[in-house]
Amino acid sequence: MSKLQPYSVALALIVTAIALSPLVLSGGNALNLVNLILIWSIFAIGYDLVFGVAGMLSFGHAAFFGVGAYVLTLLTTRLGWDFLPALGAAGLAGGVLALLFSFFAMRVAGLFFALLTLALAQLIYILAGSKLRDLTGGVDGLSGVPRPDLFGIDFFSDANYYYFLLAMFVLAIAIAGLLRVSPFGQALKAIKGNELRAEQIGFNVQRLRKSIFFVSGIYAGMSGALLASLIFYVSPQMLHWTTSGDVVIMVLLGGMGTLFGPVLGVALFEVLREWLSTVTSHWYGILGLIFIVCTIFMPNGLAGIVQQIWQRFSREDRR
Amino acid sequence: MSTIVIGLSMGLLLFLLAAGLTLIFGMLRVINFAHGSLYMLGAYCAYQIVQTTGSFWLGLLVAPFLAAAIGALMERVALRPVYARDHVYQLLLTFGFILVIDEAVRLFWGLEYKQIAPPDLFSEPVAILGSQVPTYRLFIIGFGALIAAGLFFMLERSRYGMVIRAASGDPEMVQTLGISVSRIRTFVFAFGSGLAALGGVVAAPLLPIELGMGFSVIIDCFIVVVIGGLGNIRGAVLGALLIGMTRALGYTYAPSWVEFLTFVLLIATLVLRPEGLFSRKGRAA
Repeated sequence: MSKLQPYSVALALIVTAIALSPLVLSGGNALNLVNLILIWSIFAIGYDLVFGVAGMLSFGHAAFFGVGAYVLTLLTTRLGWDFLPALGAAGLAGGVLALLFSFFAMRVAGLFFALLTLALAQLIYILAGSKLRDLTGGVDGLSGVPRPDLFGIDFFSDANYYYFLLAMFVLAIAIAGLLRVSPFGQALKAIKGNELRAEQIGFNVQRLRKSIFFVSGIYAGMSGALLASLIFYVSPQMLHWTTSGDVVIMVLLGGMGTLFGPVLGVALFEVLREWLSTVTSHWYGILGLIFIVCTIFMPNGLAGIVQQIWQRFSREDRR
Repeated sequence: MSTIVIGLSMGLLLFLLAAGLTLIFGMLRVINFAHGSLYMLGAYCAYQIVQTTGSFWLGLLVAPFLAAAIGALMERVALRPVYARDHVYQLLLTFGFILVIDEAVRLFWGLEYKQIAPPDLFSEPVAILGSQVPTYRLFIIGFGALIAAGLFFMLERSRYGMVIRAASGDPEMVQTLGISVSRIRTFVFAFGSGLAALGGVVAAPLLPIELGMGFSVIIDCFIVVVIGGLGNIRGAVLGALLIGMTRALGYTYAPSWVEFLTFVLLIATLVLRPEGLFSRKGRAA
């Protein structure tokens, strides 16, 4: 781990380019796209902690994402909280819900974990649309979600909000990077590699998994809150299973198990969405086809391709 | 009385779907996320066939074969190349097919609700023990029970069932004996997909045919499979009947809580007996 892997430097450069592009790009549309990429990247990085690092396939992350958005909205608009504490509460809510999910879903092993996270997230979706309608505004959702109010900067301008999101993004990627190389992250990789062996070595597998699920829930809750504040609006659509599906697709397209892969995947996904949705209203089906083809032929995603290219070049150097 | 009939018919309908899911899982260790989409496809096919020919029975006959062909294609083109990899990839692929199938349905049939009437034979309700019962629901009960019995017979008593059970237990040995395991896999996936579409056709006269129907049913199916005990047909029958009866009783006594009752059952199962209420180790049926 002490040696810096060259291809990860290459990936970091690409990601930095994406993140800093508004400094050179002009135009509201491009800026909006970059803001979206930053927010979804936080979500995807957090998701990959569970999927890529710990090897658990969750189809329930929409619940943490959406609940985070609702918590921020309700705390700021109804209880008059400031933005930052509300954002923290949104993350905490996402994390606690994730912990609750893991308590039930981890009672079954393997693939059935994916089914149960999906089913439990659907329960939250149904709840938000029916029993909690007074709180969530039902299918209409809630509007008037605020943005942060700090240092007298006008964050209601997308160009300024970009800096806030960039800071959050850098923080998210730094924490995820540290978690990966920490003993905690290494233990999770050991579990992913061989659960039985990890247990025999003496790791408390269930507790470690629940912990990373909790962290991942925090990421999801905060990114959901940030998205609501970017578009000033929250609706049950954020809790819908397609949101969980989107983040899975992003992480797989970009490359699971790498730090920067999910960011690349998000960028590719958002650019595809932007481009395809102007060409055809059936873009989601095309995305499905792309996803299927990529899953079969490039399971390591874009990051895997970058890695391969790098290896080829470095091999030629040696000759 | 009508509550029981509704419960049983919903249960057996769910069974048609859960059985396909269970068969595929038992043989291929793949959970088919797109199962609900195939069910929806079956319902839309039934609508189209009723629209053009006027015959529900033709739909019941044709739609499953169409879905089976699509299922065979899915297995052959997408799943077969990734069997050697982690099971997660197969799950992800079937998830991709949800997006593709749903989009195809939207492309062909649009967003509006469709509806078909039950076949003429079953349009009149009948009185049983003093309450009016729709005959179509009785037909579903009979038909579902017939399919269930047929499946049991095929898996437990017939030569084909024996080969399938053997191939899911020890594929290398079966391959060595000169039977093509990959052909069995394709067949089982196609068969399960056909069952999903069969469920879709049978459900079509009861429900509005719409894009969301596949997803709501797949959640119920997953709950049935988890409650029933992860991959045996008997568990699927009992789990499906339990969910069906719960829903029917819910509609009668606590309509606004119906959606949650099944989740209560699910969570109770997970807490009390996470291996499933009706699980039996190492059995296919």
